Amino acid sequence: MRKVLLALLIVGLVAGIGLAQDKVTIRLAGYSGDTPLMQDVLARFVADKIPGVEVVWEPITEDFLAFVLRTLSAGTAPDIFYVDVGWAKTVEKTGLVEPLDDYMANSAVLNKGDLIPALKDAFTFDGKLYAVPKDFNSLVIFYNKDMFDEMGVAYPSDDDTWATLLGKIAEVNNPGKWYGACINADAARFLPVAFEAGMPFLKDDGTAPFDLASAKQAADWFTSFNRLGISATSADIGAGWPGAAFISEKAATCIEGGWLIPPIRNENPTLNFGTVFLPSPWEGGPRSNYLFTCGYAMPTSPASGRPDLAFKVIEILTSPEVQNYILESGHAIPSRAALLNSAYFQQKDDFAQATKKVFEATDLPGTVPFAFGEIGQGAYTGAVNEALTLIMQGEATVEEAMNEAAAKLNQ
Amino acid sequence: MKRRGEWGSAFIFLLPLLFTLAVAFVYAFVRTVYFSFTDYNLFHITKFVGLDNYTQLFADYRFVLALTHSLVYAIVVTAFQTFFALLLAVVLNQKIRGLTFFRASYYVPSVASSVAITLIFIWLMNRRGTINWLLTEIGRYWPLIITGLAVIVLVQSIQVFWERRHGLPARAFDPALLGISLLAGVVVTAILWRFGVVPSYPMSQVTIPWLTTRKTFLGIPLPLLSIMMLNIWTTSPTFMILFLAGLQDVPQELYEAAEMDGASPWQKLLHVTVPALRPVLFLVITMGLIGTLQMFDQVAITAGTAPLESTITLAYYVYWNVFGSGGLPKVGMASAAALVLAALTLVIVFIQRRVGFSEKGWYS
Repeated sequence: MRKVLLALLIVGLVAGIGLAQDKVTIRLAGYSGDTPLMQDVLARFVADKIPGVEVVWEPITEDFLAFVLRTLSAGTAPDIFYVDVGWAKTVEKTGLVEPLDDYMANSAVLNKGDLIPALKDAFTFDGKLYAVPKDFNSLVIFYNKDMFDEMGVAYPSDDDTWATLLGKIAEVNNPGKWYGACINADAARFLPVAFEAGMPFLKDDGTAPFDLASAKQAADWFTSFNRLGISATSADIGAGWPGAAFISEKAATCIEGGWLIPPIRNENPTLNFGTVFLPSPWEGGPRSNYLFTCGYAMPTSPASGRPDLAFKVIEILTSPEVQNYILESGHAIPSRAALLNSAYFQQKDDFAQATKKVFEATDLPGTVPFAFGEIGQGAYTGAVNEALTLIMQGEATVEEAMNEAAAKLNQ
Repeated sequence: MKRRGEWGSAFIFLLPLLFTLAVAFVYAFVRTVYFSFTDYNLFHITKFVGLDNYTQLFADYRFVLALTHSLVYAIVVTAFQTFFALLLAVVLNQKIRGLTFFRASYYVPSVASSVAITLIFIWLMNRRGTINWLLTEIGRYWPLIITGLAVIVLVQSIQVFWERRHGLPARAFDPALLGISLLAGVVVTAILWRFGVVPSYPMSQVTIPWLTTRKTFLGIPLPLLSIMMLNIWTTSPTFMILFLAGLQDVPQELYEAAEMDGASPWQKLLHVTVPALRPVLFLVITMGLIGTLQMFDQVAITAGTAPLESTITLAYYVYWNVFGSGGLPKVGMASAAALVLAALTLVIVFIQRRVGFSEKGWYS
C-alpha cells in the first residue's frame, strides 16, 4: 500500500513539474508597501496577456538595496526588480544589470523617446539606460486649511520665502492642540533647501560641502522650526512619519511628496488640505527640489532565462493604460511624457490638485535627481541626518554640527 | 571488528552535524579569511591587498569606536545579567506561593521576539515616552516619595522594636507590621502634603532624547546605555533558567551543615550556593560574553533613530560596511572586522576561563 502511495506521489510530482514548466514564471520584486497596488495592476493588466507567462509579485520587506545586491551576487535576483534613483549607480556598478537600450530600440510600444528626459537621464550611465522609470515624485508643502482658518493665518503660497513661511508656521502653531509643522532630521527634505541656498552636491575638489556658509544658512533655517518649538519630529508627536502626523491632524504642515495622497484618501478623506512649492530663500530667489524616481531593471542573467519575456512585462507595466490607472489612484505620476496632459490634472478636487502640484514642482528649474553617485546614499545622508539631529536637540551649534558632518563624509 | 563497527555508526550519526559544520562554518570561515586580504565587493575581486584591510580598520575611527563599545558592552552587560540571573534564580528557588506564575512571568522577556521588544522599547524611550514621563513624575514628587519612605521605615522600626521588647519574634520585614507601616506612610505623607509641609515641585516635562542624543554617562553614550539596559532585562531570565537547573543539583546537606554552623542566608549564598554553581557560572558567563560581543539585532533596529557613532558595535560595523553606506559593499573590510571580532571573542573567553570561573566544579 505504501509503495503504491509513494509511486503515486512521484508520478504526481513529475506531472506537476511537467505542467509547471509549461508556464514561464517571471518574478517581479518591489517594495512591500506597493503590494495592494501591484497585485491589483498585475491582475487587471498583466495576467494572461502574455501567453505562457505567469508573473509572481515578490514584496521585499528588508532593506531593498541590500536585497538587490545580495541576490545579484548570489545569482538569484528576480527577473524584474525596482531600482531607486538614490542607489541606481551602486547597482549599475555591479555589472550585473542588463542595459535596456537594445530592447527599447526593438520594442513596438516602449521607446526611449516616450519617456520624460529627466527621468531617462537619471537611470542612464555611460550612455546606457539601466532601468525603465515607472513614475516620479517631488516635494511640496502640505498644509491643513482648517487649521490655518481657525488661527486666522494666511495659507502658505508659492511665493513664500524662508522668512514668510517661518512666520506663518509660527502663527498657526497651537500649543497643546497641534504643531505648526512636523519636521524630522531628514536629509531628503533638507538637501533641496541647502541646494537652493547655493550649496553644491560636492565642492569642486570633490570634498563634502556641508561646511560651506550656504549649507549652514540652510541648516539654521531648516532646524529653527523645531528649536523654536513650533514644530516637532514625528517621534515626538507619536506618529510613524511626518505624513502620519499630518493625516491625524497633529501638525498643520509637512514636507512630503505625492506618496502622502493615497494615505490621506484612505485614512482621513475629509481632510481639507492644500499644497504649495517649497519656499525660496528670498523673494524671487532660486529654487530647488528633489526628483524621486523608481524604475524597473533586469539582471544580466535572469533565473527564468527569458529576459525577452521579462521586458514584455515591463512594457505592459509602463504602458499608458497602466500608468494612467496608477495616476488616477493617486499613487504616482507617470513617466511617459505623453501622459503629462492627462485629463486627471484638470480635476478640481484636493487630491488631483496636489498631484498636479507635485508634478509641477518637478518641472521647476533647480530640481535635481535624488542621487548620490558612488558615494552612497547612506554615507551622504547619514552624515547630514546626524548633524540635523544634534542641532535640533540643541546638542551642537549649526557651525559645529555642519563642520563635523563634512569631516565625517571626507573620512 | 566490533570496535570498527561502533566507530562506523558513530560516524554516521555525527555526519549531519559535521556536514553543516563544514558548510556553514569551515567553508564560510576560510572564505572570510580569504576575502579579508582582498578588495572583494560581492561582485569583483580586482586584487590582493595584503594586510591593507586590517591597517585601514584600525585607522577608521568608527572601528575603534565599535571596538570600545563592544568591550564595554560585553563586560557591563555580562556582569549585570549574571548577577540578576543568579538573584532571580535564588529567589525563585524558594518555596513561595505562586512560584510558577513568577517563573513564567520573569521568563517572558526572553521568549518574546527581540524585534518586538526593541520596538516597544524605542517607544518607551521616546522624548515623550514612558521613561521620561516617569522621570518627570519623580522630579515633581520626590519630596513626597522620600517622606513616605522615611515614615514607613520609622513606623516599621518602632513596631519591630516594640514587639521584640515584648518577647515576640518579629522579623524586620514582618508582612503584617509592614502593612500597617505602609498605611501610616501614605496617610502621614498625604496629610503633610495637604497642609503644605512637604512641597511638590512644579517641573516641566523631562525630554531626554535617550536614543538620539550624543550625551554620555560615565563615558558610555546614552543610546548604547539604553540598549544595555534592554539587553540585561531580556537576557537575564534565560540565564536564570540555567541557574535554576544548577540549583536543583546543590546537595541539601551543605545548607543543613551551614545552618548548623550558624551561617546567615547571605553567607549560605556566598559560600555554598555560588561555589556549588561554578560550572553553571562558567557556562553563563561564557555564553553571556559571546552573546554580548556579537550582539547585532538591537543595535540594527535602534540604528534608524540613533546616531551611528552612539550605538555602533563590532557586529554592526561588519554589517554597516556591507550594506550600510549605500555604495558597493566593502566585503574585504567587513571580513577583516569579523575576524577581529572572532579573535577578540576567543581571547576574552580564554581570559575569563583563566582568571574568572572555569568549568571545573568546586566539590567534584
